[in-house]
Amino acid sequence: MSATPELLYGSRPAASVRLLDREIEAEGGAPVVIENAELLYILHETPMRTTIPSLPASLHPSVPAVLGITFVKAPQSPWGPFIAAWVGIACRTGIKPRHFITAAFCNNAVAADFLASRYGFNCQAADVGYRETFDRVRGVVEVDGRLVLDAAIIESLPLVGIGATIKYSPALNGMRLGSGPALVQFEAAYDFKRVLRGRPRLAHYDSTALGEASVIPTTPIAGSHAVCDLHLLPARFQVDLAVPAEAGGAGKIAR
Amino acid sequence: MKFGLFYELSTPRPFTTENQRAVIENAIEQTVLADELGFSSVWCVEHHFLEEYSHSSCPDMFLTAIARETRNIRVGFGIGTCVPAMHSPIRWAEKAAFLDLLSNGRVEFGTGRSSTWNELGGFNANVDDTKRTWDEYCRVIPKMWTEERFSHEGTYFSMPERCILPKPMQDPHPPMWVAVTAPGTEFDAADRGMGALILSISEVERNIPRIQEYRERVKRCEPVGAFVNDQVAIANWMYCHPDHELATRRGTELVATFSYMAGQTVEISEAYPANNYAALGLLGSLRPDPNAPGDAKKPVSSGLCFGNPAHLIDTVSRWEAAGADHLLFMIQAREHLPQADVLDSLRLFASEVMPHFSGQRTQVAVNA
Repeated sequence: MSATPELLYGSRPAASVRLLDREIEAEGGAPVVIENAELLYILHETPMRTTIPSLPASLHPSVPAVLGITFVKAPQSPWGPFIAAWVGIACRTGIKPRHFITAAFCNNAVAADFLASRYGFNCQAADVGYRETFDRVRGVVEVDGRLVLDAAIIESLPLVGIGATIKYSPALNGMRLGSGPALVQFEAAYDFKRVLRGRPRLAHYDSTALGEASVIPTTPIAGSHAVCDLHLLPARFQVDLAVPAEAGGAGKIAR
Repeated sequence: MKFGLFYELSTPRPFTTENQRAVIENAIEQTVLADELGFSSVWCVEHHFLEEYSHSSCPDMFLTAIARETRNIRVGFGIGTCVPAMHSPIRWAEKAAFLDLLSNGRVEFGTGRSSTWNELGGFNANVDDTKRTWDEYCRVIPKMWTEERFSHEGTYFSMPERCILPKPMQDPHPPMWVAVTAPGTEFDAADRGMGALILSISEVERNIPRIQEYRERVKRCEPVGAFVNDQVAIANWMYCHPDHELATRRGTELVATFSYMAGQTVEISEAYPANNYAALGLLGSLRPDPNAPGDAKKPVSSGLCFGNPAHLIDTVSRWEAAGADHLLFMIQAREHLPQADVLDSLRLFASEVMPHFSGQRTQVAVNA
């Protein structure tokens, strides 16, 4: 099917997407398993009016527009303990749900380097906190001592049985590949051990510091906290930054 | 095997009066022709806030218009959403009975619960309760139709004794159905003695086990209504043209258009983790295998009815052998095909394919 002007696409010029300018990991690297990783994942709606100009033309928005916040806490990893966080706008390439990342943070420079070289995350050095307490699970990001993100879930309920999984939309990160500007997809698998669903509570959201000043979280949808064995897999897919999704879509990364 | 039409009323941007009216008027014209050609039923979804994908927020109104323009074709709610934030079960009982009178006893009543954040979030509905509210609605609505006066003290719905009016024309009441997108819902239909309205764009053979299991379970059902509706309807796609390659190509375009529109919605399973939406719904069957190379679209399933008449006779025969009682066709998506071509497709299907299959008109078996 050819693209038609009536379809909803992002309207952001490809040239304005910030690209991580470094070599992607050769051959995709080996899988890395982080045991007992914790993931806090919070979704809010956001106005469509400001979302479409924030997405590149190769992506469709979701309808309604959705903003996703993800925290990942690794109690141990080949690079030591780390906590990373990223913020993204829900999008579609063809019909697949993904999140176009507008900002990423990590409190461990070596882990940040791995996330960059494998998946294109452009992590800022930050103090990133992740804590489960009696009434909430909370993630916090401070950059140079300034709070930019304070997000939590409250009134959490355990999910058991077939519902004890979370369907994370994979992140897309701007990166300059040998084939040109692209969005590289985060590739992971999850062996869930414990899953909670809770009500989002956003205490602080600095939209400028989080990459898109005009994209503001509005109606909360849901949040979750999961404990899982996180499998960081080799990156496989990239999205052409300049080609509309219906004409291009995701393809395998050429190495 | 019986044949019907299934409408989402997908509407292309921009949402001008002209575009919106064209979708509705074209659908009515198609249905009037289908009635003349001997199609058995027409069904209309209920969806809200699904831009382009479905502008069918008032299926009862669309079906009323159809009923007054046709003589024989049955009119089906495909489905009425059984969620308190959207509808009271009283209103569904009233609307279906009223339409049954207006249509001279031609109503089929499909039920469901929605699977998108667009809709459930838009109505601020309690996502966790939809399966349970659907179950309660299915049990009270037939009683509202059949009992002179009805009262109820339930978990999600209660009312003092009232006479719910009008009563339907069909005796004891219209057949009841359940929309099936997620695997396993067909068993919920069977256990309640309700017909399974299965949206399937997969291979015929993949549906055989679920239809067989439905058949077995419905024999042991505890019907929620006054009779068992043990029919299986498959909602599918159809484009019939003498040029097989052209028909297949156009069919592929229809599915791609539909997939694009459906893909933009936010499914509950994507946004709101919940036990009652753990299985992938419609989008799961549309989305390519994530392990497939590239983002290549799925090849069009051989279970879809795209092709020349000889090919469609073969496809329908396979569905019949699989145990389907009805094939309900989506025949348009966002007005992608010219109306004249859609009408020609219906005519060709009716003249060349339908005569190979008996029982075009639904005869509802009523065990009063």
